[in-house]
This record gives sequence, structure tokens and C-alpha cells, in this order.
Amino acid sequence: MNGHPQFADALALYALGALDDAQELAALQAHLGACGECRGELEALRADTALLALSAVGPQPPERVRQRLLSAIAAKPRTVQMVPQSYTSSHLRRRWFSIAPTAAMVALAVFSLLLWRELSDTRRDLRRAQAQIEQFQMEFLTKDRELAEAKAVSELVHAPDVKRMTLISAHTLPQPLMKMIYSPQKGSLILMATNAPPLPENKIYELWLLPADGGKPMAAGWFKTDSNGHAMMFHTMEIAGINARGFAVTIEPSGGSPTPTMPIVMEPAS
Amino acid sequence: MGNDAALVARVRAGDQSAMADLYDRYSGVVYGVALRVLGNAMAAEDVVQEVFLQLWRKPQAFDTDRGRLAPWLAVIARNRSIDHLRKRPTEDDIDELPISSGVDLEDEAGQRQAAEKVRGVLARLPQEQRKVLEMAFFEGMTHTEIAGKTGEPLGTIKTRIRTGLLALRKAFA
Repeated sequence: MNGHPQFADALALYALGALDDAQELAALQAHLGACGECRGELEALRADTALLALSAVGPQPPERVRQRLLSAIAAKPRTVQMVPQSYTSSHLRRRWFSIAPTAAMVALAVFSLLLWRELSDTRRDLRRAQAQIEQFQMEFLTKDRELAEAKAVSELVHAPDVKRMTLISAHTLPQPLMKMIYSPQKGSLILMATNAPPLPENKIYELWLLPADGGKPMAAGWFKTDSNGHAMMFHTMEIAGINARGFAVTIEPSGGSPTPTMPIVMEPAS
Repeated sequence: MGNDAALVARVRAGDQSAMADLYDRYSGVVYGVALRVLGNAMAAEDVVQEVFLQLWRKPQAFDTDRGRLAPWLAVIARNRSIDHLRKRPTEDDIDELPISSGVDLEDEAGQRQAAEKVRGVLARLPQEQRKVLEMAFFEGMTHTEIAGKTGEPLGTIKTRIRTGLLALRKAFA
């Protein structure tokens, strides 16, 4: 019952048949229809009530109760009883007219009893089927809701007017952030910088591709930021197909450098 | 005599002697509960007859894969007895109540031992808590009725019932 403690007390009452608040009962039953964990806990609570029952164990029923039960069972065997053939063929035929009304009544009574049992069984099956349908409906509604939520998320992500933003703590200074995407196959990359510190005069930011094979850093374009520290750069490498283990940014003289000048001012987040 | 599952399988096949064995094994549990609820030997005997006859008529109501027979019979006996006590019409058939219990009660000695243990746990519970559990189980009172009779808030009654049952569970864990 760790999952749904809000139902814990009501579930114990329910196991005892002692929950009589209609609203609470309906909410719990609806929840039980959809929650296997709580159904399991209900079974465990019923077992706990059975332990409670054991406190009454001690007195034994008189022997007559056993006799009464076994006599009743012997009188009601569950196997189908066949009427002896000899009785039906001769004896019954001979006395047919005299016993016909009684036989008809007995047959009618048996037939009624069978019908009554059949009706009773059907009603019970119907109750079970209804309970099963309610459970399926509950599961269907849950799945339907989950699907609708997934669809809504997908539509939002792909909406034409979608705006993406990153929120940061309001109590810290804006952090420099550079987001980029790179396709080795195309040999192209896009970099977007925000909140980058202002550059000294005659300096630029230069991006370096760090090859996955451990080769020397390769110049991957340079850029300047505006007065707000923002910039966007599109760059195509001289050759395509270079896999990168990462990128880094350094500050270089205007026009760029063939090799990076330490220190690195921006590097991969992870 | 065989275990419960084997006996129930024989009962399903219409074996009357298996039914006698089941009666010998569990009539004490059913009778004890019925007598405690009804306080009347004749009425308790009727409940015993009713419960075992219904088991004979519909043994498939007890799922041998889902639990043990003793706790199931104990709960059925309690429910039938409460029906009698409250003069409610009883169901045509025994209930298919899934009960998960690992307590082994297949012989009388085991039942008596478990009964002693339960009584010990109950005796150690605070009196108010024990009383509330007994009112709910043996008198079939709802939590509103119990709150009305004891003057305790509904929330207190609910919590006492749950923690009481969990104390029993813990003792047999």
C-alpha cells in the first residue's frame, strides 16, 4: 500500500465491509478497478481479517452437525442421476394414467428448479461480466487519457509558433551559454551564443572542433557577439566527415588563429 | 488426508469422503466464528451447514491458486453469520473472495496455535483498538456505527482498524 496511502484506511474498512460512506466507497471501488497494487493489498487485508477470525477458534460443533451435513450431501450428489431403465419401460407404462398428474407436477417442479438455477447462474455471470466491463472501461479511459496527453505533448513540440526557452535561477547573474548543432556528414554546424562576456578590442571568439581520433583541434569558424552578448554563426568545415569528440571556444585575435590560444573559455557541458 | 488443493480437487469431482475430510479439518474454524458472531449454538450450526453445503455445491468458488482454504472459510463464515445477525438475505452462492494468506492452518493443532497467537496479539493491543476491531468484524458494524457508539471521530476509528489489522499481519509475517 506504499503507492496510494490516501486509500489505506478506507481499504481496511472495505475489507471488513465496514465502509459506509457512499462517496468514499465509490471512489475506492473506482480506484480498485484500475490499481492492481491496491487490489493486492485488499487481498492481504482480507487475510488479516481471517486472522482476527481465528481468535474465535476453540469450540467444536456437535457430532450431529457432521451427520446432518453428510446426509445432505449424500442426498444432493452432484453427479447426474439416471432413472433406472426397467422402471421407465414397464412399471411406469403400466401405471402411467394414475401417476401422470403427479409426474407432470414433479417434472414441472424439476424444470422450474432447473430454470431457477439457470436464471440464478445467469444473473451471477451477468454481475461478473458487468464488473469486468467496468474494469475494462476504467482501463480504457486511463489509456485514452495517457494517449491524449502524449498527443498533446507531441503537438506542442511540433507547433509552428513554438518558442523554446531555458529558465535559470533569478538570483544568479546570466551565465554565458553557447548551443550548437553539428552534422559530421554535412560538415556544417550552427552555433548560438547568449550572455557571452564582451570581447576585448580586436578580439573574436573562435570555435574549435576536437576530432574524435585525437587529432589536433581544427578551426571551426569565428564570431563576434553583439552588445547583449548574443551571436549566431553558421560554418562549413573545409572537409566533411570529421567526427568530433567535442568543441571548445577560445578568444583569438581578429581574423582567427591557426591554433587555439589558451585558456578555453567555453567547453562541452558534459 | 491430502492437502487442501487435493481435497478440493476431489470435492470438485464429486467425492463425498473428501468433503467429510474438509469438514473434519475446518468445521472448528467455521463453527467458532459463527458462534462468536451469533452467540447461539443452533444458529451457528445452521451457518456451518450452509457454508459447507455451498462449498460442496460450488467448489470452484475457491481458487486453490489464490490462497488457503482456512482463511477463506473463516471470512465466508463471518460474512454469512453477519447476514444472519442482521437478518439480511444471504447470497445464493458462496463468494469468490481472493484472500492472500501464507498462514498454514491445515490441522487442528496449527489452528489452535494460530488462535493462541492471535489472542496474544489482540490482548497486547490497546483496549479501544481491540474493541473497534471486534465491533467491525464480529458485530458487523460499519465505521459510522462504531463512531456513533464509541463517540470517537470517524478518522480515529478508521486508523485504529487499519493499524490493528496490520499488527496481526506483522505477528504472522
